[in-house]
Parts: sequence; C-alpha cells; structure tokens
Amino acid sequence: MQIFSMKYDKNFFEIKENNYMLKFNIQRIPEGFILRGKIKGNPKRVELFRDDVDKVMFINNWQSWGVSKSIDIEDYTLKISEDKKSRLKYSIHIMPELFEKNIISDYFIGKKDKIYGFLTSKIAHPFFEIKDNELIAYLDFFDRKFEDYVDIEPFIYLEGKNIESLLEIYADYVKFENKPKFSKWNPIGWSSWYQYYEKLTWEEILKNLELSKGYNYEVFQIDDSWQKDIGDWVPKDGYPSLKEIANKIREYNYIPGIWLAPFSVSETSDVYKNHKDWLVKDDAGNLKVAYINWKKKIYALDTTHPEVQNYLRKIFLYMRKNGIHYFKIDFLFAGAIPGNRYEKITPIEAYNLGMQIIRKATKGDFLLGCGAPLLPSIGYVDGMRISEDTAPYYNADDINIPYQNAYYALRNVITRYFMNGKWWWNDPDCLSLRIEDTKPNEKIIEMYAYVSGILNNIIFQSDDLSKSIRKDVFFNTLELRGGNSHVKGLMNFNNFFEIEALNTKIGNIKMKVDLEKVEYSIEKDIEYPQINKRTIVREDDKRLFHYYEESDLNA
Amino acid sequence: MLERRYNPITGEWVMISSSRQKRPNLPKDSCPICPGILELPEEYDLVSFENRFPALRKNAPEVENDNDVLIRERSQGICEVVVYTKNHNSELSQMSIKQIEKLINMWSDRTKELSSYDFIKYIFIFENKGKEVGATLPHPHGQLYAFPFLPPRIKLKMESLEKWYTEKNTCAICDIIKEENKKNKRIICETENMIALVPFYARYPYEVHIYPKRHVESIYELSNKEKKEFAYVLKIVTNKYNGLFNMPFPYMMMFFQKPFNIDKSTHFFHFHVEFISPMRGPNLIKWIASVESGTWAFINPIEPEQAAKQLREVEVDI
Ligand SMILES: [Zn+2]
Ligand SMILES: [Zn+2]
Repeated sequence: MQIFSMKYDKNFFEIKENNYMLKFNIQRIPEGFILRGKIKGNPKRVELFRDDVDKVMFINNWQSWGVSKSIDIEDYTLKISEDKKSRLKYSIHIMPELFEKNIISDYFIGKKDKIYGFLTSKIAHPFFEIKDNELIAYLDFFDRKFEDYVDIEPFIYLEGKNIESLLEIYADYVKFENKPKFSKWNPIGWSSWYQYYEKLTWEEILKNLELSKGYNYEVFQIDDSWQKDIGDWVPKDGYPSLKEIANKIREYNYIPGIWLAPFSVSETSDVYKNHKDWLVKDDAGNLKVAYINWKKKIYALDTTHPEVQNYLRKIFLYMRKNGIHYFKIDFLFAGAIPGNRYEKITPIEAYNLGMQIIRKATKGDFLLGCGAPLLPSIGYVDGMRISEDTAPYYNADDINIPYQNAYYALRNVITRYFMNGKWWWNDPDCLSLRIEDTKPNEKIIEMYAYVSGILNNIIFQSDDLSKSIRKDVFFNTLELRGGNSHVKGLMNFNNFFEIEALNTKIGNIKMKVDLEKVEYSIEKDIEYPQINKRTIVREDDKRLFHYYEESDLNA
Repeated sequence: MLERRYNPITGEWVMISSSRQKRPNLPKDSCPICPGILELPEEYDLVSFENRFPALRKNAPEVENDNDVLIRERSQGICEVVVYTKNHNSELSQMSIKQIEKLINMWSDRTKELSSYDFIKYIFIFENKGKEVGATLPHPHGQLYAFPFLPPRIKLKMESLEKWYTEKNTCAICDIIKEENKKNKRIICETENMIALVPFYARYPYEVHIYPKRHVESIYELSNKEKKEFAYVLKIVTNKYNGLFNMPFPYMMMFFQKPFNIDKSTHFFHFHVEFISPMRGPNLIKWIASVESGTWAFINPIEPEQAAKQLREVEVDI
C-alpha cells in the first residue's frame, strides 16, 4: 500500500533514491522519538534529519581524546598546524578533512533543552554537521554496497528541562539499544605512564611494587615502554618474560595489567617488515599512515584479514596464558580508519570485527579502551578513557584540538560524566599525586582526584612511589566513590560546574569546581548513623543473612 | 513447586510456591527471629535474611516451558525477612528515631545490593502489621520481594507516570505535592523535605502516603537530612494510627521505587510510601470483596479529607 505516495509495509515507509532504498518508521518515547530504519544499495553519506541550531551548542568528538564541550557556533575555529595535522591524522577524526573545515559533532549534539543523537555505530559513522544555521544528521556508509537490507543506526530526538538530564537519558537509551555487559568491578590501581613514560625499567617496576604496600591497589599496570616495538608485543631487552612479569605482580596480590596498541603497527616493527599485506591501504594500493607517534609512522591493521584476526587472537591468548588479566588497549581508532581492506566492509564494521576478537580472547578479564571511537566500543570494553591524556601541567587555555594537558583531561571527565556506569566505567586518566617533579600545585592535584572520585570513575595512580605523595588525597578520593552523580553547568563557558553524588561511601556529596580559577569546595552530608554489613551463608540451606550494625568508624 | 505462570487474560504473572518442607517445630510462644531461638542464633542489631519459604529464589529450579499458550517461567528472585530490632516487644511506632534511621540505611543498602543483579527488575519493601492483615509474628519486622518481572500495579504506575511525563513534561507526584500544599486539606504531617497525607484518590479509609518533596527515584538517593525526616514521619504516622481508635492499628506499609534493569526510561518515577489499613472505624473492617478483587476498582466509604482531619487531630508524643 501507499501513504502520500510512499510505499508502506509492516509499519515501515519506503523511500527510493538513485543509489539506495530506505525504509523507516518513528517510535514515540516519553522524551521525544526514535527513528529506525533499514537501508540497501550504495548509500555513501545519507542525510537523516535537519533542525535549526542555537548559538550555543554542545558538541562531541568521536574518540576518547576528543573534546566534549559547549561552543559558540559564531566563534568556533580549529587551529591545527600543518605539522600537527600530519602527525595526528585520524586521531582527530575518522574523516579529518571534513572535520578541519566544518563544525562537526560525532554521535550526538546538544542544545540547552534538546539532544539529537544516534544510538549505535555498528556499520556507519553517525555525525552532525552545523551549516548555515542548521544542524544536519548524517550516516556515512563509506563505499559499502548492501545487497540486502541492513539496519541503520537508530536516531533519537530528546527534549527536556536541561542538557544534563537529557544526556543522562540519552546514555540510557544507548544502553538499552546496545545492552553492554561490562564488568561490575570498577578498578583501583597503579600505572607507570605519567611518571616514567617510555623510560620505564624493570628495576623501577620492582621498586614500586615494593613501595606499593598500603595503597590497596587491585591492579598493577605496566604502560607503554615494555614492548619491543609497536606491533611486536613481546618484552624488550632488559625485561623478563611476560610470565615472570605477571608472576612478580601476582606476588603482591595485584592483577597484572599491561598496555598495548593492538591495531597499530610501526614502520620499524617486524610485523611491518613481514606482513605489509596485513595493513590498511588507500585506493592506489599504498599503505595508509594512521598517525605518527614515537617519531614513527604508524600503520593500521586490517582486521578483516583472516591472518590478522589470528595474530590478534594469539597476542591476547598468549598474554592471558602468561597471567595478564587487565589490558589497557590504546590507539584503538587505528582499527577504524577508512581505506581498503581484505573485505569490502565499512571501517566501523572492521573495527567491530577487531574488537570482537579481542573481547572473546580476553573473556572475563578487564579491557580498558583508550584512543577509541566511543559508540562502536560499547559492549566490548569494561572501562573507557573519556579524555585527552593528563600531564604534569595544567594550562587553562582553549583551543579546539586538545593536547596532553591536565586541564583538558579534567574538563572531559566532567562533560562526559553521563557515560559512566551505563556504557562502561569512565577512566579519568591517572591521578598523579606526587608533589615533587610535577608542575600542578596541590589544589589542582586535589581537584582532579576528587572530581574523579565523586564521579565514581576508575582510579589509577601514576607516581614514582618513592617521591613525596599526597597519600591522603588517594584515600579521600576512594571514599567519594560509589554514588550516582549528576553534573550541572555543561552549557556555560566559564568552566564552573556543580556536581552532586547520591549515596557515595560517605553519603550524599555536593562539589563545586571552577576549572579556570582552580577552586573547588566539597559539601558533605549531615551526620547520620552509619551501618556496617556482615553477610553470612547458612550452612544447611545456603541462605544469606545480612547483619547490620552501627559503625563507629564514621570519623 | 516453585515457578511462575503467565495469565494472558490479564498479562500478569502468578507465583506458584508450594513447599513440601515442614515448618520447624518451635515451643509455643517462642519467636523464630528473636536472638538465639531459630533463625538468628546470635545477638544482632538489624538483620535481613532470605526467607525460609520464599516465593522467589535466587537459585530457583529451571522450568521447562514447552507450551506457548500455558507459559511458565523460572521463579528467580529474592525474598527477605527484614528484622528491625532485636527487641521483640517493640514496633515501628515505638522504636527510637535512631533505630529507624539505621533501618532506612538497611533498606537502602538492600535495594542497592539487590538491584545489582541483572535478573532483578523490581524491589518491593513492605510490612504487614497486625492479625487483620495476616501478620502472625509480632516481632518488629518487614519483608522485601525482589521480583524478576514488574508486578501489575507497578506496571500501571509506570504507565501512568510515563503518560503524565509525556503529556506534561513533569512528574505526577511532584505536581501533586505542589497542589496538596496549596490546598492543605489532606496533609497530616509535614517536614522541610517530607510530606505525609491522605491522598485525594485514597482507596482505603485511612490510607496515608509519604512523599519526599524532592524528586528521587529510589530510597538510596535520599540525603541524610531527608532520611532523618523520613524516620521522623514514619514514627509520626504509625503513632497517629495507634492513636486513631486507641488500639494497635493494623496496616500494610509499602514502598514504591523505580524498576531496575529494564530497557525503559524510569526517571519519571518518584519514590513514595503507601500505608493502607482495613480499618474503617473502631472494630469495623472494610473487606476487600468482588468489586475490588474482580475489577481493581475501589469504593472508599470515608471522605479522604475527613480521614485526614481525624489523623491530623490525633496528638502524638514522640
Ligand atoms: Zn521476637
Ligand atoms: Zn517527582
């Protein structure tokens, strides 16, 4: 049958375009609507939706390190030097040229009282462009051809009182759609990176393990530095075997954790030398550089290639077999760069394939994503970095391409707070709590830590533990966790935020934080009788008995 | 047998729970939840434990569902007995405010812990008090049911609150609190953050609802100040009940909070408490009969405004 000259079948309207066919319907929800559909043909980039813009919009970048913040669209410029562009490449965007020349927001975009977003990114890359006072929602299918109908990424429109509650509702719908099953455990640990960087030695690891007693870490994670090369994931000279590394960490009752960049291959690695056919290429058949780091060109693994899939599987199975059970997987965007692959599928589908292999190989272990496209990673990772790298300095300047800076990192920790506990555990990046060998003053150190705690994020410390350390800040931070958090102030430009956490370990807490003036205040709840729980399993029938009694630990 | 069965005529699940296990023999007049008697061998302050004869069990037996008309499912859930104090001869109205405050924390913690199980969709905290509502054990205690499905009245509440939100962009209970404050005809007790009233739409003669004034979705979101006032209001309401006809007043106390682990928005759910009682006067009972049971439509023989006036006028000394 037809309605207004559109074919209508089983609750779907059908549109015929030159290069594709699209079926769609609209589902009403209490806060707005969801548009669902199916597509076939060679759709390339499809426009789904258009609406007016406001002067102030809340935008979001596709991956971990990118910015989430409000912008004045009349006063928005990207300042990226040519040199930086050539190094960052796809880390700034899956389609860098498009991103450089336009105002782009990936996955969702917000106004003070509306959110427009996509619920998944399984095949296409969903994004918004602001042009001529309109915002336009697109799905990019790259050059993929579909013989049969496939589901499009559902689009959601939400209307309400304020952007913060709408972002929380958006996060809920994304969760309902993806149904991620991630770890219930929100880890606490130590990482080597923000003290040692690539100069970490085995001796320093041993030293810090010995000094770590009393911090009650759960994970001890060795970051970038231990490996032979990017792509050659075996210990370099000066390090013992993976098994010995893991056993040593186990001796201290920590879960052994390690860093790697599984989709990345450097120009000096053995993988590069031996397997150029494993790498993503351009139309002319030349290898594509995904980014430049470690002063090397980094290529991207083609995760659709059966041999690559085998290689990935083997890496993780081998690490697991040797006792590694916490994986920080970094520079993941490399798995999603556009280009030619063994199979003609979209870069997002290729990324999904790669992540599926890693998730399956590490079943039950903790996967922390980093440098990762956000929506496509939901359901694969247990934790996710949601900010640019922190750094031993804090510069409250504002360019729209971030660099390693504690200020940018902390701002994203706040502006992406709503993802936490729904899609994964947010990783605010490591806390550096030393007061020597670092630039930030103690106020910044406290502010960074307490914001991370009150937002119930993953807490990792990164310090040489032989230095002077604000140990009190570490333990205070842990006390602030465990609550449900809400933020106010995302649409303001003054970087002043109010955070409320309900039911933390020490009750309800309010925090005000001014990122520019570097000021914060914490308001604790009034005194209340605290109780301790002791759970006992009855022998004969296995029933649980939960005994509660007043605790006088509430000092 | 422990399973649940689906009624496609009403869309409800019925829990079948028949136990062949014998109830343990206890000497007459001894209390199974007093310290050192049966269930709780040691001294305690407060305790919540899994029911000996539960209608829902975490490790419920698997059921084979081989019919698409007569549908059965596993009764996977948790039923707990929630003991308020070790003092046998107390009750909510007699307990110290501090003990009630601790009890509120226990209710919050039970909710938080049980909601972390993905199979739990609804946590219902309640108390049956008095022979008239079938409570045989006088020791101060309540219960909780952690359901693997949304019970019919919860579904109805969700649907109505969702509809209200969809049409008005507000929460129905927040709107009611504003309106009741303006009218001030049915309020029986009020603090800065809590309000107790006989609702405009009371189904039972002396029905009382307690609403936190702030929009919170579950008991564990209450602030310490709100919890303190909640403890106070619970004590006032139960004392007013006892003073109403100068007799231990039978009641059912029921907590309603948002569902958990369902793939639907729940932010419009406003945590609230309902007290209902079969009493319609001294020694007079309103029986639940055909109209109420068959149609879920209620006839209230007492004007809510009149009930509120009577309850307001009961002086309590706490
Ligand atoms: Zn007793
Ligand atoms: Zn409300």
